[in-house]
Amino acid sequence: MKKWTSFALIFILVVSVLSGCTSTEAPAATEEPAATEEPTAAEPVTVKYMTFSAAPDHIADLEAMILAFEKENPGIKVDYETVGWDDYFTKLQTQVASKTESDTFELNYENFVTYASKNALYDMDALMAKDTAFDPSVFNETALNAFQLNGKQYGLVESFSNVVMFYNKDLFDAAGVAYPDPSWTWQDELAAAQKLTDADAGVWGTFAPIQFWEFYKTIEQNGGKIFNEDKTEVLIDSKENVETLTWMIDKINKYNVTPNDAKMSGQSDGDMFKAGKIAMLRSGIWMFGLFADADFNWDIALEPGNTQKAHHFFSNGVAISKNTKNPEAAWEWVKFYTSSQEAAEIRVASSWELPALTDETLLAAYLEQSPPESREVVFEALNTLVVPPVIESWNELTDIVGQELEQAKLGQKTPEKALQDAKTALEQLIQ
Amino acid sequence: MNKSRMKKIGMYLLLTIGAIAMILPFLWMLSTSLKSSNVTFVLPPKWIPDNPNLESYRQVFETVPMGRFFFNSIFVAVISTFFQVLICSMAGYAFARIQFKGREVLFYVYLATLMVPQQVTLTPLFIMMNMLGWANTYQALILPGIFSAFGTFLMRQFFMGIPNSIEEAAFIDGAGYVTIFFRIIIHLAKPVFATLFIFAFMASWNNFLWPLIITTDTTHMTLPLGLASLKGRWTTDWNVLMAGTLVSIVPMMFVYIFTQKYIIKGLTHTGLK
Amino acid sequence: MVGFNKWNKVKTLAIFLLPSLIGMTVFVILPIISSLGLSFTKWDLIGDIQWVGMANYSRVIKDPNIHGALWHTLQFIAGYLPSVMIISLGVAMLLNQKLKGVVFFRALYFIPVITSWVAVSMIWKWLLNPEYGIVNYLLSLIGIAGPGWLVDADWAMIGVILTSVWKDIGFITVIYLAGLQEIPGHLYEAAAIDGVNGWQKFRHITWPMLSSTTFFVVTISLINSFQVFDQVWVMTEGGPAGATSVMVQQIYLNAFRYYKMGYASAISWVLFIIIFAFTFAQNRMQKKWGYSDE
Repeated sequence: MKKWTSFALIFILVVSVLSGCTSTEAPAATEEPAATEEPTAAEPVTVKYMTFSAAPDHIADLEAMILAFEKENPGIKVDYETVGWDDYFTKLQTQVASKTESDTFELNYENFVTYASKNALYDMDALMAKDTAFDPSVFNETALNAFQLNGKQYGLVESFSNVVMFYNKDLFDAAGVAYPDPSWTWQDELAAAQKLTDADAGVWGTFAPIQFWEFYKTIEQNGGKIFNEDKTEVLIDSKENVETLTWMIDKINKYNVTPNDAKMSGQSDGDMFKAGKIAMLRSGIWMFGLFADADFNWDIALEPGNTQKAHHFFSNGVAISKNTKNPEAAWEWVKFYTSSQEAAEIRVASSWELPALTDETLLAAYLEQSPPESREVVFEALNTLVVPPVIESWNELTDIVGQELEQAKLGQKTPEKALQDAKTALEQLIQ
Repeated sequence: MNKSRMKKIGMYLLLTIGAIAMILPFLWMLSTSLKSSNVTFVLPPKWIPDNPNLESYRQVFETVPMGRFFFNSIFVAVISTFFQVLICSMAGYAFARIQFKGREVLFYVYLATLMVPQQVTLTPLFIMMNMLGWANTYQALILPGIFSAFGTFLMRQFFMGIPNSIEEAAFIDGAGYVTIFFRIIIHLAKPVFATLFIFAFMASWNNFLWPLIITTDTTHMTLPLGLASLKGRWTTDWNVLMAGTLVSIVPMMFVYIFTQKYIIKGLTHTGLK
Repeated sequence: MVGFNKWNKVKTLAIFLLPSLIGMTVFVILPIISSLGLSFTKWDLIGDIQWVGMANYSRVIKDPNIHGALWHTLQFIAGYLPSVMIISLGVAMLLNQKLKGVVFFRALYFIPVITSWVAVSMIWKWLLNPEYGIVNYLLSLIGIAGPGWLVDADWAMIGVILTSVWKDIGFITVIYLAGLQEIPGHLYEAAAIDGVNGWQKFRHITWPMLSSTTFFVVTISLINSFQVFDQVWVMTEGGPAGATSVMVQQIYLNAFRYYKMGYASAISWVLFIIIFAFTFAQNRMQKKWGYSDE
């Protein structure tokens, strides 16, 4: 009988600990309504918001925005959740699969198209029409329209960052080369890069990563496209595009003004720029903070083009879940978060990307900051903006093209062959 | 005598060379975590920071609610480790020692569960937990970690290595399996219990994907999620990330050293029979 | 067994096995069966689930990405498995000696196991750096011009293998250490009296007595290495130009980047069949060669 007592003991232990977990859980669940301190007001509605852009540097800024919002809207409480970019979509998808996603969530532009096409987002048109206080003209029109699909608004634009050319002034001065100006073309860039490159000192003239985002922008600088207008035809292997890819690769292999992977290994392009080893770098304005304490002078300029200028950007928006129980409250939060004066001021002050708003005074506050001196370039670049060629299977598109570009870079394929292969794969994708 | 001395020196030499290779990344983490913010990764690397400081550690604690995450990680790891060791060792004992119909097949079923990648079972498990209403709870964090085919397999293999004679003697004295297991086997198998303990603890401590998906607020989140949130989309402060990583492996190190004591103890107890 | 009736046996089995069986069924086997069901469907996780029969499987068989990934996975296993086994057994035997400070060494050898892959990949990218890395420096001392390692399509997988072996030595060593503890000391004492040399001791006592441990280590390492992913993802993301793309990476991409849960499940089940076949064959082989588990 002894064995039974010992077993019973273990069993009781198991059960008690497991129920212990449950019972510690139970009060936690009931705690929330109990914690609302105003017994007079109606039960506040809770809106959940999930974001990837707040962590790790802007959690305090997000909290400040929520505080301001809750002050203005006492009936609504916002619960936020931050997830790192790398894992954000894994989590969001799993939640959407079981219909437990947050009421509102952040989407970058490219994934916005995927989620909107798959019909996971709340159509905001009715909410917008009902809300007399809402003025869509506070947004940059192009940016706001980007978050539409088939003429319906499924998200509000929250922020953007674009890519410009950073340059190391000290290296230019030392080599006696004039600073980049808006008239520059690829040829001017190359001529300067050749003078700036100093193999013995490990200094390279220019750098642009060979990957999908850089590619779709660079082909437009040469008048090329990936798709035709309505995305029914793949144009990626056009003569202009082959020329562009050849140019991108030649900077590494033919002209030796850009380091190859072996020379860089482990260092990022940003690391090398900051260490004074790259004279001209195409990179995003999110690098301002990292480069602020560089021990040399640097500035930004418009990118040189070949036949025309082109700049690319990254934009984030906020959408409402199709499954939300409180669309009105969710709308209030999304509206406040993306377009209110308070939120925008917090955003600009902390360099949490840039709000896509038309308010000049906000922009003035941004332009006053330094470095870089020529911050206006950030806005000038918007005049020649190119939009990513988004399709529903966006991630597959970027992976396919990325892989082909890499093979061309490594010399496993000629640029022609790589782009032809990309074309065949993309044709299957858009069928 | 001289020969055995030479042998000893040779062994120390080998061990030391290996140890240097093993400890390198640890030193690198330490060095990076003591650097000031914005010092980038430049070749050749700098091992000794110019002005070592603890700023990164302060930033870790500022960005992530480390206290809460530490508590959650420890709470989840301790409970799931305890039950994993108990349940796996009992099941492993049944597989190793008790004859029953279908034992071989059932064992293969257990093994087979290790062969399906977690990436595709995650979503069904998540949906199931939601149906139970357990999303964002401790039991959802703990329960799936308890049942381990790996642990069962490990225990089975070691119980197979224990000579039958020990149990046979006990059977003659009229003891049943349960008595034998808790009175005799557990004491004999200390090294392997310690081994499973460290593995179970480590698995729970490092588990990332499941807590990522099942928790939705900081009340229930564990350390690896905190560490992941230190990485930015565009740029990452490596010194802060390394500081966080370092802080998070300290408890694991203690658990390891603690369990190793039992493996050493096993050493003196073997030969007993 | 003496005086052991059937009812008693059922009770005993229930005590020992039932808790595990119930938990495994609910939390492990049920989700696995669900994924088997999903492998016959088309599901983007957002919309409705659509039955497509065997379509996913016929696609897996024709998909060149999967062929490449399987080939790279096998390359990984061929390089990783034998090296990690042999080195770990060697290290375990060294760490099992009655040497002063051995506990300290045991702790050091375990450090890579508990270090995150992110940190490990940073340091190894540097160690394997073609220009400044220690590995190529050491090679240059003996007159070999080192390769580009992780940035060279022909060498990247070897770089990943090297790093993985280094990281997992501590893990397998711990299992072998526990196995070594179980060998009764009197066997060695008897051997010492007979004047047996070190190699013979290993051949006739240590190795046979470790057979069930070895069986465990080989089986688990085989199963795990077929599912290699984390290190590839942080070190090369499958590159350069797809040279290190592995099976679980394809599963991950399809499940969480391409919104193809059904297809990802089908790849998983194809992988399952391959792993099962290998494990089964390895199991049979070990039994045949004598150092089996039973």
